[in-house]
Amino acid sequence: MNTEKIKKDFPILGRKIGLNDLVYLDNTATTQKPLQVIDAIKDFYMEHNANVHRGIHTLSEEASEMYDNARKTVTRFINAIYPEEIIFTRGTTESLNMAAFSWGVPNLKRGDKILLTNFEHHSNLIPWQIVAKNTGAELKFIKTGSEGTVDMSEFKSALTPDVKLVCVAHASNVLGTILDIKEISKMAHAVDALVCVDGAQAVPHMPVNVQSLGCDFYSFSGHKMLGPMGIGVLYVKKSVMGQMVPSQFGGGMIKEVSLTDASWADAPDKFEAGTPDAAGAVGLAAAIDYLSVIGMDKVREHEIELGKYTIEKLSAIGGIRIIGPLDPEKRTGLVSFYSEKVHAHDIASVLNSSGIAVRSGHHCAMPLHKELGLPATVRASYYIYNDFSDIDKLAEGIKKALKMLA
Amino acid sequence: MDDIYQEELMDIYKNPARRGSLDDANASTSQSNPMCGDDISVQLKIENGVVKDAKFHGSACMVSIVSSEILLDYLVGKKLEEVKGISKEKLLEMLNLNLTTSRIGCATLALGAVQKAVAAYEGK
Repeated sequence: MNTEKIKKDFPILGRKIGLNDLVYLDNTATTQKPLQVIDAIKDFYMEHNANVHRGIHTLSEEASEMYDNARKTVTRFINAIYPEEIIFTRGTTESLNMAAFSWGVPNLKRGDKILLTNFEHHSNLIPWQIVAKNTGAELKFIKTGSEGTVDMSEFKSALTPDVKLVCVAHASNVLGTILDIKEISKMAHAVDALVCVDGAQAVPHMPVNVQSLGCDFYSFSGHKMLGPMGIGVLYVKKSVMGQMVPSQFGGGMIKEVSLTDASWADAPDKFEAGTPDAAGAVGLAAAIDYLSVIGMDKVREHEIELGKYTIEKLSAIGGIRIIGPLDPEKRTGLVSFYSEKVHAHDIASVLNSSGIAVRSGHHCAMPLHKELGLPATVRASYYIYNDFSDIDKLAEGIKKALKMLA
Repeated sequence: MDDIYQEELMDIYKNPARRGSLDDANASTSQSNPMCGDDISVQLKIENGVVKDAKFHGSACMVSIVSSEILLDYLVGKKLEEVKGISKEKLLEMLNLNLTTSRIGCATLALGAVQKAVAAYEGK
């Protein structure tokens, strides 16, 4: 991976934090944007801006075509069969909420079980808590093993006939653990349960093929993969879409409206009430084009190399512990760690004083942190523009923090 | 930001005199920071409307530890009316640290706990 060449496409990576060069290692939270994405959004607003699917004037036609093309780009990128299987949302959170309220509430009932892991991001936990409260269904959880991995035999035994839905992260945003979604889908479908995947930490980092994974719902966000904030995707397998009802209502999603009733447009329009973020969709498509030129298999290789290097470097520092699998092949592009003596916030503050951006806290996974007995961890997450020298600076910064505060 | 890790504060952080617990506390509560999951418990001993002693414990970062120490030190000897009047702004002024927005939540964690403890005490 030619990180030097890639870095030049990202204007923000040239900025200083105080007197230091920025070392951006908070990519799990959001990635930076290349000029190609910024320019695509700018071009939309400067040349083509209009509401989509509403007017017959030239600008509206152009905007609509760009929006439709963005949907086709997403379709190809995750190898969905039909563009109609792609619903644009504001991000993974809205996608998972839509799965919960458009499929979960109308299809689940008392006695049904929803199977999750204990490391889900709050956005793939709380919507299902509310679904459970509204329908009488119950949540049950698979726990991670000591290394933050999940034993497939545990899934198998948890998949009792009353499980109607499995909701799991493709990759954990804290542990980094990658789950074998293909195997989980196979086992879940054997008991007629559907599979809903939070792919926020997978799609940016590895090739994702929804047909081969076999899952029924798949969610991800544009801003974690070089695209803009405010755009995301809910993929729904066509055969499952018919079981869904709209959960947001208004313009753009109807066929016919009277004063007392309304009928819905076809999918995906009926799930996209209101004016969509067309510029966001165009920006996401530009991000996908950018990643496709590099190749997602190359992105994955690069992150495995960086992961291996990060784990080696951090393991050599006395006083900190890495959580999650130590095999870089088993994790996505992040490494979380903690010190028994120095609080995560303090490590992050000292790192920031050297220009290094990392995340500290519970990373929207409070139940997992409670289980680990840690109030907070530090998370360093890398992407296509990071290289070994960034990890060297990280390691030096951590040593500095421990020296100052431990 | 480096100035929050200055030497004087580092001494407080490494040996906070008010960290611990009180056997004879009559007002206590805890407050957590939803941003990071940190949790600070505060114990107060109140007599005749005056704070006689105060301690804190819990898992927290340097900013919360230092601010807990400075706040509790300030409280001892104060009337409850004065304690209730301590605003976030007043505490941040006392700390005199150049804090970023995200760390203000850490700095004011103990104040939230103190005010909850006093409210609960007065509600008895």
